[in-house]
Amino acid sequence: MDSLFAQLVVLESSLALIFGLVLLWRRGVPAYIHAFTWQSLVLAAVAATVGWFGRHRELYVVAALLIAVKGLAIPRLLARMERRFASERELAPYVNTATSLVVAGLLVLFGAAVMRPVVMASELPTRTAMPLAMGLVLVSLFVVVSRKKALTQVIGFLMLENGIALLALLGAYGIPLIVELGVFLDALMGFLVMQIFVYRIHATFETLDVDQLDRLRH
Amino acid sequence: MTGWAIELAQAALVLALAPGLVGVVRWLKARLQSRRGAPPWQPYYELRKLFGKDVIVSSNASWLFRLAPYVVFASTAVAACLVPSLAVTRPLDAVGDLLVLVYLLLLGTVFLSLAGLDPGSAFGGMGSSREMTVAALAEPTVALAIFALALSAGSTNLGQIVGRTLADPAAALSPGHLLAFAALFVVMLAETGRLPVDNPATHLELTMIHEAMVLEYSGRYLALIEWAAALKLLVFFALLGNLFVPWGVAAVAAPAALALALGSLLLKLAVIAVVVAVLETRVAKLRLFRVPELLSVSFVLALLAVTSSFLGR
Repeated sequence: MDSLFAQLVVLESSLALIFGLVLLWRRGVPAYIHAFTWQSLVLAAVAATVGWFGRHRELYVVAALLIAVKGLAIPRLLARMERRFASERELAPYVNTATSLVVAGLLVLFGAAVMRPVVMASELPTRTAMPLAMGLVLVSLFVVVSRKKALTQVIGFLMLENGIALLALLGAYGIPLIVELGVFLDALMGFLVMQIFVYRIHATFETLDVDQLDRLRH
Repeated sequence: MTGWAIELAQAALVLALAPGLVGVVRWLKARLQSRRGAPPWQPYYELRKLFGKDVIVSSNASWLFRLAPYVVFASTAVAACLVPSLAVTRPLDAVGDLLVLVYLLLLGTVFLSLAGLDPGSAFGGMGSSREMTVAALAEPTVALAIFALALSAGSTNLGQIVGRTLADPAAALSPGHLLAFAALFVVMLAETGRLPVDNPATHLELTMIHEAMVLEYSGRYLALIEWAAALKLLVFFALLGNLFVPWGVAAVAAPAALALALGSLLLKLAVIAVVVAVLETRVAKLRLFRVPELLSVSFVLALLAVTSSFLGR
């Protein structure tokens, strides 16, 4: 039973990590939005799996909320932003694609090395997936610092948030529901604020390239 | 004794099946694109025709040009014999493991590139240079993906990897296996010159790779090279099918088990052929400069495969 649990969780975490890597390889924002949607759905599946095998009823609520907020609402808002800024593709990131991918691979290895003591100390059946969640956190952070377009950075931030949620689910079988609700609200509000920022950046500088932000306009 | 009999039967089967596999992929692609398409057995007619034709060799070509088709065909044929396509335990398992298999295939690639350079035509040189770029980038991925499999099986021996997965079916669903499968699939597309990397349907494109190298060949040399290319495709399909989804491979040398193994092999080949045909219909060819990016994606997948099979132990 426990081995099936561990296997499922590791499988789902790997999928979440791979959807994170899509950000480094594809160039169009629609592909990023799809990747984020699928990653959120996988995260909901992780919550449901942990809820089922770990006998935590309230994780089903978390899974439902994940699907509603991160699987449906935020992707819809993102798609609306994307339609508005259709020409803003991630063409020239600071780090080119091939190097980014190799760096991402190394970051995943680094995450595994960092999490090794935690994995050794833990008794949970989910412990083998924790390095993958750490890898997702590091890779998303790398996306945020190495990409130029504000929209890509927003999606990178959302994936970072997913990674932290995944780590919490695996390491502690989720956090108390009330805290979880607060985090959801936080993420949603943060996203809305970022959306307004993106619109403002575009209105002022006529581009979403954050490189242009140090340019004087007035 | 029965071991060698099975080995011979397997070699004959693989050699006979390879052109048909290429034909099936072509036929499926044609049907998917609403064309009638040549029948799946068309490559056999082509091979017969080519074997009957005279050979024309450029006056600039050296002995290497004449030797290369035989080396390419022989190395690919030996590699095809090493794959456990029907039975798990075979006498040839003692001859070579997964690493030998991969480097036999690479030997063929190297000789083909040398042959592309030899007659001094511009296309051949371009094709060879590109083929070497792709091969150099695909190599580390193959090595890593193999390492992921070998780590979870505790051996690089092909028969043992298959046997281990048969004994422990859950291992086939482990992330290490799935990621290694994805990595090897991408490498298979690159190494056998399938669509996102190279276009197998034409030799009239400036960006062709495989077809550019063999442009100077004719007659039986071309037949051998075409047959070897088909064999390489079959080797990769059989590897993907039998290493990662080993069910059906005969564990004992009984007639019933072997018949089942034959059936499941044909089924797996058909499934992978359908997947490749659909993929080739859906995707466009990548720009040559994006090919390294595709291959680095597969490299990262292989790296993750090794990481997770290492962690999952």
